[in-house]
Amino acid sequence: MYNSEVRGRLITGDKSLGQISQEIIAPIHAKTPPWWYGAILIGLIMFGIGAYSIYITLTKGLGTWGLNSSVAWGWDIINFVWWIGIGHAGTAFSIFLLILRQKWRTAINRAAEAMTVIAVFCASLFPLLHMGRPWLFFYIFPYPNTRGPLWVNFNSPLFWDFVAISAYLLISASFWYFGMLPDFATIRDTAKSKIKKTVYGIAAFGWTGSSREWLRFEGLSFVLGGIAAVLVVSVHSIVSTDFAVSVEPGWHTTIFPPYFVVGAIFSGFAMVLTLVVTMRGLYNMNDFITDSHIDAVCRVLVFISLIMGTAYMTEIFMAWYSGSEYEMYMFFRNRIFGDYAFQFWAMFISNALVPQLFWFKSMRRRIWVVFIISIIINIGMWYERYNIIVTSLSRDYLPSSWTSYSPTLIEIGFFVGTLGMFITGVLLFFRYIPMIAISELKSVAKFDKPRKEQLKHTDHE
Amino acid sequence: MSKDYILGVFKDEESLVAAFEKVKEKGIIPLEVYTPYPVHEILHGMGNKTRITTAAFFYGLFAAMGILAFLTWAATLSWPMNYGGKPVNSFPSFIVVTIVATILSITILTLFTFSIRAKIFPGKVPEIFHERATDDRFVMVIDKKSMGENSAVINSIISEYGEIE
Repeated sequence: MYNSEVRGRLITGDKSLGQISQEIIAPIHAKTPPWWYGAILIGLIMFGIGAYSIYITLTKGLGTWGLNSSVAWGWDIINFVWWIGIGHAGTAFSIFLLILRQKWRTAINRAAEAMTVIAVFCASLFPLLHMGRPWLFFYIFPYPNTRGPLWVNFNSPLFWDFVAISAYLLISASFWYFGMLPDFATIRDTAKSKIKKTVYGIAAFGWTGSSREWLRFEGLSFVLGGIAAVLVVSVHSIVSTDFAVSVEPGWHTTIFPPYFVVGAIFSGFAMVLTLVVTMRGLYNMNDFITDSHIDAVCRVLVFISLIMGTAYMTEIFMAWYSGSEYEMYMFFRNRIFGDYAFQFWAMFISNALVPQLFWFKSMRRRIWVVFIISIIINIGMWYERYNIIVTSLSRDYLPSSWTSYSPTLIEIGFFVGTLGMFITGVLLFFRYIPMIAISELKSVAKFDKPRKEQLKHTDHE
Repeated sequence: MSKDYILGVFKDEESLVAAFEKVKEKGIIPLEVYTPYPVHEILHGMGNKTRITTAAFFYGLFAAMGILAFLTWAATLSWPMNYGGKPVNSFPSFIVVTIVATILSITILTLFTFSIRAKIFPGKVPEIFHERATDDRFVMVIDKKSMGENSAVINSIISEYGEIE
């Protein structure tokens, strides 16, 4: 049998099952640390800035944004795609690593899924506000209405997008919540205070851990996992068709769906890394999120970074190979040397070059390097969306409609607001929800210890 | 400890499984087994089967057919619209919404099925045999009536691997 330590241990410190639950639940029972109040205050102030920007947008209209008739999509869609991309990691983490039987996922999947739910929520605000009159938002539902009935256009990627995002939000939230039931039950049964017992008792939906519950729970995870895998791939493919079916230079390519899906997982994994490193530092979770966990995520990132680099080069190659002068202009002149060359190179260097540092073990083992690179990737992925959206729209076929774009304070405020929402959400998650899936971690704890039957087996041979 | 049941409390998965197998050899199936995480030997050994995956398949089948039928009906019969001269029944582009909405339907219906079948729902008061079964103990609940003459043997099996409470 395999007793070598290729992967490193899943949990260090030789912990008993009881210790695992105690140490993960500890932050919930502990007194709220002072930094937490400071951080949530910052988050709420940022959220306030966002709320004010939304108020101005609603009362004065979209004219308060820097959009114009050529560049009709700006920071709103950039941020939407950016957040949705980040929101892909949770499900990708749980599902793909589940399919690949990667046991180390158990320490990270809860945080990744929490991040997904918050990020998708942030993302959904942007298209909603971009509608201009969000109070008529229900027009997008295909419901029997008094206008005909006039149905929505089922051929439009924008409608697909609406269906995909709402389905994704609902599914990832329920997948996350139902995965937490056993852990809420653990808190209920170990808590000493009456209030906690009651609150977590309600949240646990009466979970007891009986074999009948586990049997169905496994069935449910199997079904949700299987179909969510399809969803991860399809949601961002659909987001990419928003662009790919438009006849815009730089957008109208078939590489877009895979390119977007990979990019989404890339940015999501980077954000997971940011979050997990923070979590490890603040709550001393080093025994559960070990150096080898961080190492594994870094290795995944270096691989995805190569795919990203290949995708960028393929786009440029296809622009030349297509023989279309508009495509040639877009890639060889406008993006590389044009007005927005900084955004292009920021994207290329941060996403395709900087993560290559993860080839070196010395880099993967230095947590501060890992943290900084994960932030660089997040910024790089933001510039990727800027590069795709703004360079193409500002220089389309007709030079007479060429224009430039820069965001207004209101747009920036809106983005800052969603960052504040994210920070606040993550802090609430840290404080009130077990950050690591306790029951899943317990189920893999035995793989760290040589099993009795395994020893018997080796003796026999 | 109640009058009608005995609780076998074990410290790890292996002892539980070993005791469980021996108890089963005596022809007794425990009333219920509570574990902090799913133990597959127990799930199979208890003899229960879940048809949640089969149910999910049929939810998906009917949802897909229903959604596709609705889209086709709405676009071709109810109010045909000319979008740039494309055919009214643009079947391939209906597939996208069909897939995503089918996934959504499967999720919602399977969650409700789980909730009903596993009796897990908001506001349920749990019947807790052992407070540490969700923490670090593996608990086997055996109905005293089902043991009959074997009670001494069962007790000794449980004490061999764990404790009786």
